[in-house]
Amino acid sequence: MTTPSVSDIKEVREITRMERIGAHSHIRGLGIDDSLEPRQVSQGMVGQKKARRAAGLILEMIKEGKIAGRAVLIAGQPGTGKTAIAMGMAQALGQDTPFTSIAGSEIFSLEMSKTEALTQAFRRSIGIRIKEETEIIEGEVVEIQIDRPASGTGAKVGKLTLKTTEMETVYDLGQKMIESLTQEKVQAGDIITIDKATGRITRLGRSFTRARDYDAMGPQTKFVQCPEGELQKRKEVVHTVTLHEIDVINSRTQGFLALFSGDTGEIKSEVRDQINAKVAEWREEGKAEIVPGVLFIDEVHMLDIECFSFLNRALESDMAPVFIMATNRGITRIRGTNYQSPHGIPIDLLDRLLIISTTPYEENEIRQILKIRCEEEDVEMSDEALTVLTKIGKETSLRYSIQLITTANLASKKRKGTEVSIDDIKRVYTLFLDEARSSEFLKEYEQNFLFSEITPTAAGTEKMTVDS
Amino acid sequence: MTGIENWIEKLKKAEKTCLLQDGRRKIHYTFPDKTELAEEYNVQTGELLIRKWRKKSTLGATLPWEFEVGQAMENPIQGSETCDIRENSNNPIFTRQDTISSFQWRIRNMFYSSDNYFVELDEQQRSLIVKTKNKKYYKKFTIPDMERIGMGLNSKSLSYSHANNTLIITYMKPSEFINMEKLISAELSKTKASKDGDVECNPS
Repeated sequence: MTTPSVSDIKEVREITRMERIGAHSHIRGLGIDDSLEPRQVSQGMVGQKKARRAAGLILEMIKEGKIAGRAVLIAGQPGTGKTAIAMGMAQALGQDTPFTSIAGSEIFSLEMSKTEALTQAFRRSIGIRIKEETEIIEGEVVEIQIDRPASGTGAKVGKLTLKTTEMETVYDLGQKMIESLTQEKVQAGDIITIDKATGRITRLGRSFTRARDYDAMGPQTKFVQCPEGELQKRKEVVHTVTLHEIDVINSRTQGFLALFSGDTGEIKSEVRDQINAKVAEWREEGKAEIVPGVLFIDEVHMLDIECFSFLNRALESDMAPVFIMATNRGITRIRGTNYQSPHGIPIDLLDRLLIISTTPYEENEIRQILKIRCEEEDVEMSDEALTVLTKIGKETSLRYSIQLITTANLASKKRKGTEVSIDDIKRVYTLFLDEARSSEFLKEYEQNFLFSEITPTAAGTEKMTVDS
Repeated sequence: MTGIENWIEKLKKAEKTCLLQDGRRKIHYTFPDKTELAEEYNVQTGELLIRKWRKKSTLGATLPWEFEVGQAMENPIQGSETCDIRENSNNPIFTRQDTISSFQWRIRNMFYSSDNYFVELDEQQRSLIVKTKNKKYYKKFTIPDMERIGMGLNSKSLSYSHANNTLIITYMKPSEFINMEKLISAELSKTKASKDGDVECNPS
């Protein structure tokens, strides 16, 4: 009974891709109005008005795009919405502004040096808007035919017939194209364009010849003329690529040799110089325009002194993006040295930063955030349960109470309840320990754990030895 | 005839490599702007079998070969990987295959009767247009050779026929053009070609 049969595993599920819910997926923006005044609850943001107003100002600066190499530090205790503010900024900037988000420890890799990883992150955050010629297929859909194999498994095969006023062509479709056609709900009578290089499908509207089929047509249906001439056309499109992408394109070994060399790893500085010169040339000719983006480094105290001095230098370049860091440390040791410094960042770098600080949430703010998270996770919760959860959040941490939402919801589902009640909260509260209760528990049963016979000698653990 | 001179001058300036293989003289040109041109001639008859171009995209990536004359060998593995949408093999296939005296295009898989096709010449845009009465096929194309030397087109040189499901379009080369081709092939036969298979290898 425990091992599922083969047919169970191979079951094909034909549903639209489920969105996964992340820790910050409820954030849709910074929640500020046009005059940069933060609203109490808006776009998934709650409280932290001062920090959000400051972030709004920075946002204006980024949008203007004139100032390069400014750096911002978001400092605050754990669980006060530092990452949320950065995410909100990314959302507010929109799709066209490059936003790179990395964690401080990501740059430590055996494959490339720390400075290379940082340079790549910097260059990922600078966009270039440039015109390029691409090949597109534009026509009216005559017929889509998708055949599923009789066994129910294996690759599907599809055929798409497109026409213009002058010609008609049958195309064979691959797996991905079939998927995106079904996702876009393309049907006969639609006028579509397909970008040959990327495979992106755009629906332009419905053909005028189909204007008389009244069935199943919304009021916003757009009618367009069937295209003329050839199906395949060359078209100039403007798109944004990052400097890093151009680097990769130009540094890749050509042909089958690429299979052996692999395309990750370091990019030669000559290639970068060449590209910088090229971009400058394009800018002068008016062919391209630079879109400065944002580089966000979370847990910035994980960087070491070498990285910080590199950053000092890198921020002076006129190609530098706006640089946002976040940290939850107070005065601590700078990694790679024996010196103490605020936020674990050297004073000379701190001097260049605009510092935004976040403060712990109030009780009613915690309640709001929990409510938003309930909505995000599709959880029905009674008012009393929410009050209890808020209290837990206030006494332990916001993150812990957010975790309880999911588990409590599962508990209520198991007892076939319609909404999460106080009992469900109580149940999961006893099942899962928060950080404080867990250390309490450890102190109580310390002797029973492994290696407890070794008494710690460091000064920081003095308290524990006293307790036992 | 400055157009012809310009083109010959451009070919002279390009970096050239020559190779004799399978009864073909293969020449590879690299122009100063990194554009590549590859040509293959029949050694016996001097006919041009393949001419293809490879350009760099604006961002610097190498684009696939574009065939001006001749046809790519079908490579099913590569084809399925790079693109998720391809023309069905039953669609008309358009290729150019020149003879010594004329430019010639063949469009295969044209299953309709002969009176279905028109071939016209658009003198202003210097291009040929293939149309079908039943609206199944349409193609507008230029003769790049004539464009390069800046020569106009003449509808008197154009003829077409349909047989065995293939539409053959023929455009007679003007005498100036034939002379130029003779000149180029004479020049090319002078360049030293390395023979395939006897590459020197000195194991030390």
